[in-house]
Amino acid sequence: MTHYLLRRLPSALVVLAVASFGIFAMVRMVPGDPVSTLAGPDATPEARAAIRADLGLDQPLLTQYVHWLGQLAHLDLGTSYRIGGQVKDLVADGAVNTIVLTLTALLLASLAALVCSVLAVVLDNRWVNAALSFGNTLAIALPTFVTGLVLILLFAVVLPVLPAGGTPPDGFIARPDIAAQYLLLPAVCLALGAGAALTRFLTEALRTEMRQPYVTTARALGISRRRIVLTQALRNALPSAVTVLGIQFGTLLGGAVLVEAIFTWPGLGGLIEEAISGRDYPLVQVLLLLSVTVFVVIQLLTDVVHAWLDPRIRIGGTGS
Amino acid sequence: MSESLLDVAAPEASDPDDQFDTRRRPGIWTALGRGKGLAGLILIGVVVALGLLAPLLAPHSPTEQIPGANLVGPSGAHWFGTDEVNRDILSRTLYGIRTDLLVVFLAVPIGAAIGILVGLVSSWWSFTDVIAQRVFDLVLAFPTLILAIALTAFVGPGLRTVFFVIVAVELPVFGRLTRTSVRTVREMPYVEAAHVIGAGSLWQLRRHVLPNSLEPLLVQLAVSMSVAVFIEGAMSFLGLGVRPPQPSLGSLIRDGVRNMYDAPYFAVGPLALVVALVLGLLLVSQALAEARRR
Amino acid sequence: MSTPLLEVTDLAISFSHPRPAVRSVSVTVDRGEVVALVGESGSGKSMTARAIIGLLPDGARATGSVRLGGDELLGLGEKAYTAVRGRRVAMVFQEPQTALNPVRTIGWQIAEALRAHGGVRGKAARARAVELLTEVEIPDPEERLGWYPHQLSGGQKQRVVLALALANEPELLLADEPTTALDVTVQAEILALLRRIRDRTGTSILIITHNMGVVAHLADRVVVLRQGDVVEAAGTRELFAHPQHAYTRQLLAAVPRLPEADDGVRVLADAPAPTGEVAALEYDDVSVHYGSRMRGRVLPAVDGVTLRLERGQVLGLVGESGSGKTTLGRLAAGLVPLAGGRVRVGGEDLAGLRGRRRADLRRRLAFVHQDPEASLDPRFSIGEAIREPLDVHGVGSRAARDQRVAELLDAVRLPASFTKRRPRELSGGQRQRVALARALTLDPQLLVADEPTSALDVSVQAEVLELFADLQQRLGFACVFISHDLAVVNTVADHVAVLRAGKVVEHGAAARVFGDPAHEYTRRLLDAVPVPDPTVRDATGPALHEQREQIA
Repeated sequence: MTHYLLRRLPSALVVLAVASFGIFAMVRMVPGDPVSTLAGPDATPEARAAIRADLGLDQPLLTQYVHWLGQLAHLDLGTSYRIGGQVKDLVADGAVNTIVLTLTALLLASLAALVCSVLAVVLDNRWVNAALSFGNTLAIALPTFVTGLVLILLFAVVLPVLPAGGTPPDGFIARPDIAAQYLLLPAVCLALGAGAALTRFLTEALRTEMRQPYVTTARALGISRRRIVLTQALRNALPSAVTVLGIQFGTLLGGAVLVEAIFTWPGLGGLIEEAISGRDYPLVQVLLLLSVTVFVVIQLLTDVVHAWLDPRIRIGGTGS
Repeated sequence: MSESLLDVAAPEASDPDDQFDTRRRPGIWTALGRGKGLAGLILIGVVVALGLLAPLLAPHSPTEQIPGANLVGPSGAHWFGTDEVNRDILSRTLYGIRTDLLVVFLAVPIGAAIGILVGLVSSWWSFTDVIAQRVFDLVLAFPTLILAIALTAFVGPGLRTVFFVIVAVELPVFGRLTRTSVRTVREMPYVEAAHVIGAGSLWQLRRHVLPNSLEPLLVQLAVSMSVAVFIEGAMSFLGLGVRPPQPSLGSLIRDGVRNMYDAPYFAVGPLALVVALVLGLLLVSQALAEARRR
Repeated sequence: MSTPLLEVTDLAISFSHPRPAVRSVSVTVDRGEVVALVGESGSGKSMTARAIIGLLPDGARATGSVRLGGDELLGLGEKAYTAVRGRRVAMVFQEPQTALNPVRTIGWQIAEALRAHGGVRGKAARARAVELLTEVEIPDPEERLGWYPHQLSGGQKQRVVLALALANEPELLLADEPTTALDVTVQAEILALLRRIRDRTGTSILIITHNMGVVAHLADRVVVLRQGDVVEAAGTRELFAHPQHAYTRQLLAAVPRLPEADDGVRVLADAPAPTGEVAALEYDDVSVHYGSRMRGRVLPAVDGVTLRLERGQVLGLVGESGSGKTTLGRLAAGLVPLAGGRVRVGGEDLAGLRGRRRADLRRRLAFVHQDPEASLDPRFSIGEAIREPLDVHGVGSRAARDQRVAELLDAVRLPASFTKRRPRELSGGQRQRVALARALTLDPQLLVADEPTSALDVSVQAEVLELFADLQQRLGFACVFISHDLAVVNTVADHVAVLRAGKVVEHGAAARVFGDPAHEYTRRLLDAVPVPDPTVRDATGPALHEQREQIA
C-alpha cells in the first residue's frame, strides 16, 4: 500500500511544483501594476520605487519565487496589497465558509447518488428508471447559475421560507438549526450537478456489475437480487465510484466560486474575484495554489483509496 | 456466457440465407433520427435558428435605448420586457445567442481539433507523450472555473478570454481521450493484422485506428459543447465574460439577477434559452453514447 | 424405478427474435445420475439449463414444464425460485475466472451462500466452509478462506465455484461447460472430481458440453440437441456404439482423434535429416521476456527454444496456458521483441532488416489470429479486408486485385457475393475462412496460425481444418499451427513441439510424438485428453484417480 502511495507521489509533486511556479510567474506577467494601484496616479517615481522595493518586486523572478516558497513553508503568506490584512487570516476566514459549503454539497451529492442508484437497480422498474433518468438529465442540463436563480426565486422570493443568501449570523456551531437554513439552498445548488453526474455513473456501474458472471453465480446460489446489489455489486463498483467522486470534487470546487457569488456566501470564491480585480498578487497566488494543492491531494487520495478498496491491487500476485 | 448470445444467432448449417446475423449495426448517426437524439437536435436547431435570424426577428437593435421604457414588464411591444437602461430584452437575448453560438461552434471545435492533433502525435511518439501528459495533468489540475479566473487575470475579461478558456479546457480533454481511444484501438487484433501484412504506421493510423477511434470523440464533442455554454454563462455571470454592452446569455442572466427583485421576469427568457441549448446538446450526447454501447 | 428427480417436458424458449432458442426439449435426470446435454452453438443447451434454474436472460419466455422432485418450477415467482436455487438446484459455469466476486474472500462467499438458505453462521459457517473446500480437494482450506479469487489458479477457482454450488447440498447440479476454459490436465482433475462427488453424495448432475470426450468420460446418459430440438437420447455406451441419428453420427465423426494405442505403432524416424535447403523458419536459441526490467519483474515466456521448420511442412506447437506456444508463434510473425537468440524466416533475420527488404520479407509471412471477429476491421467489407494486403503493397491494377479477391473467396469456398458483406454479418466459421483468405492473398511462404479453430464448433472446426489441409497441400506454404487441442494438431501437423513453461519438452514427427511419447509430460497431456469413447473411460477411470493423487 505504502509502495503504491510512493509510486504516485512523485508525479503529484511534479504537478504541484510546476503549477506553483506557473502560478507565480503568470501572476507577475499580468498586465496592470500593483504599484500604480497602491501608489495612486499622482505618485512620484521615488515613491513608486520605494513601494516596489518594499514589496520585493525589484528582485529577479526566480529569487522572488524561492523567497515565496520559503515564506509558504513558514505559513507566512504575506500581506494583502490592497485589503492590507494578513493573507493568512483572509484565507482562513474564507476557507471555513467554503469548506463547510463544499463538504456539505459533497455529502449531499454522494448520499443522493447512493440512494438513487441503488433504488434504480434494486427496483429495476421501468417507471422508476424513467423518472430518475429524466430528473438526472435535467439536473445535469441546468447550469449552476440557473438552478441557483430558480432556487432563490422559489424559496426566497415567491415563498420566502429560506434566506436568499449570506452566512448564518451566529456561525455554524452556536445555532445549527439556523445555520442549516442558510446552508441548504447554496449546498443543494452546488450538489445538484455533481450529484446527478455521480448518480448517472453509479447507476451505470451497478448495472454493469449486475451483468457480471459472478452475479449469475450468486443468483444461482439463491441469494436475492437486493442482497447481491447491496453486498456485492456496490462493493465492486465502489473503487471506480471513488475515483469519479474525486473528479467531481474538482467540479464542486470550481462551482463553489459561482454558488458563492449567487448566494453572497463570503468564501474563497469571492475573495479570489476580489483579489484578481484588485491585482492583489500575494492573495491571488495563495488562493490559486491552494485550489491546485487541494485538487492534487484529493486526486492522490482517491487513487490510494481506489487501490485500497481493490484487493487485486492491494494484494498483488496471481495464482498461475 | 457466450452461449446465451450464440443460442439466439442462427447456426452454421441449413440454408445459406438463414445463416447470417443480418442485423447490421446501425451507425451512431441513426441515433439522431429518433427519440432523445431527435429531441436534442430540434432543441439545438431552434436555438441556432433564433440566433442566426436575430437581425430579422429582433424588433430593436440590441443596444438601442428606447425612450420611456425603463424596466417595463413583458408586453406586446416588449415580449421579454426592457432593462434598466431602456433596452429591449428580447432583442438583446436574440443577439446574445450569437455570442454563445460562436463559443459553442467555434471555440469548442478549435480546442477539440488541437487536442486531437496533440493526442494523435503523443500516442505515436513516446517522447512527446511524456510532455503532453504532464501538461494535461497540469491544466486538468485546475477546476475549470478557477482556471478561467486565473486566465482572466492574465488576459483581462472579454469574449476573447472566454474563447481562450474554452480552448484551454477542451484541449487536454480531447488530447487525453484521443490518446486513450487510439491506444485501445491500436491493441485490436485487426490493427495487428494490418501490421503483419506490412502496412506502415501511417496506413494503420489512417485506415484502421482513426476511423475506429472517432465515435467516443464525437460523443465528447457534444458533451464539451454543452459545457462551453455553461462556461460562457458562468464567466459572464462572474463578470469575466463579454464586456457590456455586447449581450450574451450569461451576461443577460447576470443583469437579471441584479434586477431580480424589481424585475423578476428579466432573466426568464435567457434562462430558458440556455437550458434549451444545454439540454439539446446533452440529449444528443446521451443518444450518441447509448447508440455506441449497443 | 421411482419418478425421476428432474423432468423437463416440452420446454420451449423464445425471444422477441422470430426464431425460438429452444423449440421442444424433454430431458429427465434420475437421482444420482449424470446426464449430458450435448450440442453445438445454437442448439439451446445452455438456455435449457438456465430455464431449469430460472435464470433466463431478460425478454426470454419459457413454456412447457420443468419438474424437480415432482414440483413444478416453471412459472414460480422470483421469491419462490430464490428458495429453490442453491438449495435444490445449483449451477457451475464455464468461466471460473469471472464466476467469483473479485473483491470478496473465498470464505465470505461461501458464508454468503450458506446464509442465503438460513444455514449456519459464524464459527459453524467457517467449519462448514473448510469442510466444503476439503470436499473439492483444495489444499490448506483453512488458509484459503482468507484468499481472494485472483490469488487462485483457474482450476482452483472452478473448485471453489463447485464448493459454492455444493454448499447447501442440492439435489441437482447443473454444470454448464465446466471444463471448457481449463487446460486439459486440469480438466481431467475436475471431471474426476465431479464423478467422485456424484459417487460420494449421490447428487444428480446435468452436464452441458460440446465435448464428446467429456461426455464419454462422465455421463451415464446423453441427450443430443440441435437447433433447439432433441435429436437423440440414449445411454452413453449405446450412443457411441450405435448412434441412431445422422446428426449424432456427423458430430461423432467430426471429433478430431489422437492415435490410439492399438492403432498399430508405426515406428517412425524422428525429424528428417536437414536437407541442406534453407528452412522456412528457424528458431535459434530464442528467448522472450515479459514484464519490464525497470520494475524488476522479468518473467521468461520463451526460454532458449531451438526449432526448425522445413518448407512446405506444418509444425504444431502444443502446450497448456503459459507454455509460451502463442509467444513463439507471434515471434515468427515479428510481433514480439526478442530477448535473445535469432528468428530466421526463409533464412533471413527479421530483426536485422529495414525498409524495402523488411517489407519484402513481410509479404512472405502471414498470421491467422485466434479470434476471427476481432481480427477483421468492423468497418471493412470482406472484399476490402481480403484486398488490403494487395493495396498495402501496391500489387497489380484495381481490376487484378478484385480478380484475386474473387479467386481467394472461391479458394476458401465462400460465394463471391460475400465481397460486399461486413464481418458482423458472417458466422464464426465464415469469418475464419475470410481471415484465412486474407492471409493467403500474397501467397505467403510461411503462415502462422494461432488457435485458428478454438472458437469454432466441432463440425465447423472439422470443415475449416479440412479446408486448411487442402490449401496447404495445394499451395505448399509452411505453417506454424498453434493449438491447445492435441487432437486438432494431430490432424494437421507433420511435426510437433510440446512446450511447457517456455521450453520445448519434446519434438518430432507428429505420429511419433502422439503415438509413442518419449517425455513423461507429453504422456501426461495425452492421458488427460478425455477420449470420446466410453469404453476407454471404464478402463482408465481408476487410473486417472491415482494419477490425480500423484499430482496432488
